[in-house]
Amino acid sequence: MIRYRHGIMLLAPLALVLAGFFLLPVVMMLPTSFREYVPGLGLAPGVWTLENYTRIITDDYYREVIWRTLGLGLFVTLACLLLGYPLAYLIARGPERWRVPLILLVVFPMLLNLVVRSFGWIALLANRGLVNNLLTELGLIASPLKLMFNLTGLMIGLTHIYLPFMVLMLVAAIRNVPRDVEAAAATLGSSRAHVFAAVTLPLSAPGILAGSILVFVLTISALVTPRMLGGPTFKVMATLIYDEYMQLLDWPSGSALSFALTFMAIGVIWLSSRLTRNWAGMA
Amino acid sequence: MSRADDGSPGFGVTVAALAVVVFLQVPVIVVVLAAFSTTSYLTIPPQGVTLAWFGKVLSDPTYLAAIRMSLILAFGSTAISLVLGVAAAYALFRKALPGAEAITSFLMAPLILPAVVIGVALLQYFSLTGLRGSLFSLLMAHVVITAPYIVRSALASLSGVDLATEEAARVLGANGLEAFRLVTLPLILPGLVAGALFAFITSLDNVPVTIFLISANQTTLPVLIFTSVEMGVDPSIAAVSTLLIVGTGATLLIAERWSGFHRFV
Repeated sequence: MIRYRHGIMLLAPLALVLAGFFLLPVVMMLPTSFREYVPGLGLAPGVWTLENYTRIITDDYYREVIWRTLGLGLFVTLACLLLGYPLAYLIARGPERWRVPLILLVVFPMLLNLVVRSFGWIALLANRGLVNNLLTELGLIASPLKLMFNLTGLMIGLTHIYLPFMVLMLVAAIRNVPRDVEAAAATLGSSRAHVFAAVTLPLSAPGILAGSILVFVLTISALVTPRMLGGPTFKVMATLIYDEYMQLLDWPSGSALSFALTFMAIGVIWLSSRLTRNWAGMA
Repeated sequence: MSRADDGSPGFGVTVAALAVVVFLQVPVIVVVLAAFSTTSYLTIPPQGVTLAWFGKVLSDPTYLAAIRMSLILAFGSTAISLVLGVAAAYALFRKALPGAEAITSFLMAPLILPAVVIGVALLQYFSLTGLRGSLFSLLMAHVVITAPYIVRSALASLSGVDLATEEAARVLGANGLEAFRLVTLPLILPGLVAGALFAFITSLDNVPVTIFLISANQTTLPVLIFTSVEMGVDPSIAAVSTLLIVGTGATLLIAERWSGFHRFV
């Protein structure tokens, strides 16, 4: 065991950087969220208020944005699960020589710049984009479908962006399912579908939950893709925060929304860890 | 046992899975094709082939300055995070301090908070302290978002190291630093390469923190692309994106040959 003093010396540099440039800035945002914003002037001196928080719950527009954000998170999570499971299954259980190329093809878009991937979806989904051009030329549609600046565009784009995270989580989960349990079920006369539903799926449930939480939290926090595919008018929470700070300069409202978003993200993570602990207790 | 019973994916699952793999590559392919188009708007298939957009990007001082800024930040923050992150992970691994679990959670916290929240918190903080727009402020912001990846990969790699090997080196006369450098470091190096790559790409990719902190005359490449898309889409964006795609692909293949990257994802 190395000495206490050495431990402090090794840990202190990073701890100090995080304390000074992460913890302190976030804590300092807290008082701002209780201040009153006067357009054109900034913070009203000496005035403290809860209004920035109550407005999030009472204002129809803010409520709409929050529901949209949560709905988007739910849909993208489900879509990633449905699209990700077969691919994860193929990687985990398919031919050995396919495994590394497939993993690299999943990791490559994940590592690729978010802005670039969103830009690719603009090229595909715009009014004169690839998808609309193709459908028009095939004579399937007369006027272009509206695929951008609405929920459809965000769902497609965000599903694509976060799918790799889900696939990697599911691969790990499926690889952990003991194959002899499946073989035993099959020997006892279970059909293939039944083995999957009764053995593989429940045993990979922890991975499904972990992947879902990750994708959900990433989706409700996303700024870049919603802004690029949703434009300045179709807003989610992160783009709303962006506009409060950059366009309206209303820091009190923006910081209250920031804490609301943080609360939602951490709340979901906390709930899921409670859930997993209960599962572990039952096993 | 017949093949159908051994749990290997059937034809339907295989086809669905391969379709999803294609779906994952579609926007990438679209961007690359659009970069070679001779028309000033995006068309697929490209109307004629040209390298003009690449020339335009590589002779545009705005793009060049943004690329330079992005690389400075990515290399700088990865290097700082590597040194600070490995040191902190090593202290945790050697159980030098009580409360290791709480400390680890604190070091990982920047991954849990939405990036946009870290961005606006730093915007206020750097505005109040007068640091906003400085290279230092951007570097520190990028260290905050990259360090958790280094700590995580270092902790994971260290957990596979047997402390006895380092103790043996100490018995044979090496000092603490020598024992770490000559024994432990080589053992955790492949994992660190993967972690450093994640950190580098995280920095290079970042918009939601960086966009709140840049000044008017210095921007990074992803922020520049992000803001130019709002002005309108043209093939020079596709060209610079293609450069990023090629760079990312090459880095991934090198990391795979070098350290078996797929084992660490």
